[in-house]
Amino acid sequence: MKAFQYATAHSPDSARQLVADNGAYLAGGNDLLGLLKEYLVTADPLVNIKSLPGLNKIEDGRKAWTIGALVTIAQIENHADIKKTFPGLHEAASEIASLQIRNVATVGGNLAQHSRCWYFRQRDVKCLKKHGDLCYARSSENRYHSLFTGNDCISPVVSSLATTFAALDASAIVLRDGKELRWSMAELYAEAWKNPYAHNSLQPGDLIVRVEIPTARSRSAYMQISDKHAFDWALVSCAAAAEIADGKMKSPRVALGSISPVPHQSEAANSFLDGKVLDDATATQAADMILKDAKPLEHNAYKMPMAQALIRRTLLKLKGDA
Amino acid sequence: MKEPEPEKFGAHSRRTFLKSLGTVAATTATAQVKSVAAELEKVNAEKVIGPEAVPVTLKVNGEKLKLLLEPRVTLLDALRNYSSLTGAKEGCDRASCGACTVLINDAPVYSCQKLAIEAQGVEITTIEGLAKDGKLTKVQSAFIEKDALQCGYCTPGFVMSVTALLKKNFHPTAADVKHACAGNLCRCGCHPHILQAALKAAGVGHAAKTEIVNYA
Repeated sequence: MKAFQYATAHSPDSARQLVADNGAYLAGGNDLLGLLKEYLVTADPLVNIKSLPGLNKIEDGRKAWTIGALVTIAQIENHADIKKTFPGLHEAASEIASLQIRNVATVGGNLAQHSRCWYFRQRDVKCLKKHGDLCYARSSENRYHSLFTGNDCISPVVSSLATTFAALDASAIVLRDGKELRWSMAELYAEAWKNPYAHNSLQPGDLIVRVEIPTARSRSAYMQISDKHAFDWALVSCAAAAEIADGKMKSPRVALGSISPVPHQSEAANSFLDGKVLDDATATQAADMILKDAKPLEHNAYKMPMAQALIRRTLLKLKGDA
Repeated sequence: MKEPEPEKFGAHSRRTFLKSLGTVAATTATAQVKSVAAELEKVNAEKVIGPEAVPVTLKVNGEKLKLLLEPRVTLLDALRNYSSLTGAKEGCDRASCGACTVLINDAPVYSCQKLAIEAQGVEITTIEGLAKDGKLTKVQSAFIEKDALQCGYCTPGFVMSVTALLKKNFHPTAADVKHACAGNLCRCGCHPHILQAALKAAGVGHAAKTEIVNYA
């Protein structure tokens, strides 16, 4: 790690001033310290934002819940009312990394984490994402990479909270130079879809301050498949959320992670599912719609049947919660 | 300032070298800074400090450690290289193996992926802080009794994870133990015995054979 200056901010304004042009915000630090140790980012100064007031709270509400950006993954996992209100969010949180990481990792950090592509993470490789000429994964080892992308970089978004928040139609509130921006999960990652250098739409100095989750969908479910059954990244993750009345789905949303630089969603599939009674055939049809136009690579075609099965299972799990 | 004892210069390890630097500098710093509170206030002020070493006070196993550290020093390095607390081990140094696990306010965390400077004002417990008056804890004894280690490098991390679990959950199931220890890896493959040791320490008997076989 390179030496850096350090400061603790006590208000969002001073955090912004302190971070200036070359600094970085420090919350849980799981991703950032890894990046610093590999010399992949510079952070000078490093601005500790753990003391920013009010950002470590989970607040319920009739129409929407608010989750502060400094809330830890463990806080979400252990929150009894979140388990009841947003079961999918509870499931996603409890599968993230390990207890040691969940105890310090924050919601904001989970959403803002950088690519896990092994070419990006290898300090000696100057890949496309690091402003090199070439995405090495495209022609080499790409078993963990995307089925969809809008640019030449094929590293996928790996935040399973983002997948779940997308299904729940949650918004991230981002502070940009004192003004609050309200972004859907699609907007939070839109830049990574088109720009190979971007991990998300955040610009230097932007700070995720909270996430707001509408309570409109009382059913939610999350599932992932990994190489290991615990403490591992998802090969594919899937979240679904809906209201179910008289057996019919209302406002259903499905999102997938680890197969695209954005949480992968199909508005066509969401509309198709709306008003339908869930059964295996419907779920399979929805899965086909969601995975339409996927472009498997040499080593990641296995993700196609895996995603197909996961969409079906997650939708049926959603129904099973009745 | 106390003169270093001559024999100490004989041991040219990286750790003793770093430690001697830390001690000398910390003594100087202590003279300048009156109290721990003042130090903390200084660190907490919205002031940019570093990159040179700054006073850092850690509370480890109930004792205050006054150190002089660069902001980039991790908690693990502060413990091992600046405080001679070498119980927490450095394995991957990337929050992936669990050998560095310590407790912060009774919750297990990876000390390698946390900066020492942000671990001030909390209770840090390392493996050295478990046994009291030379008497091992139930968890430590159970690890010995169930032969839950081979090379022993991962053991302090596992013991901390199991200790944290048993503070919250007095009657864990095998599944609870696996969930709690998922962030600790043992390359010798002692997981089945570690599971038995955790259950033994909790006094909940031992795992069924199928549970052990299914441990992936």
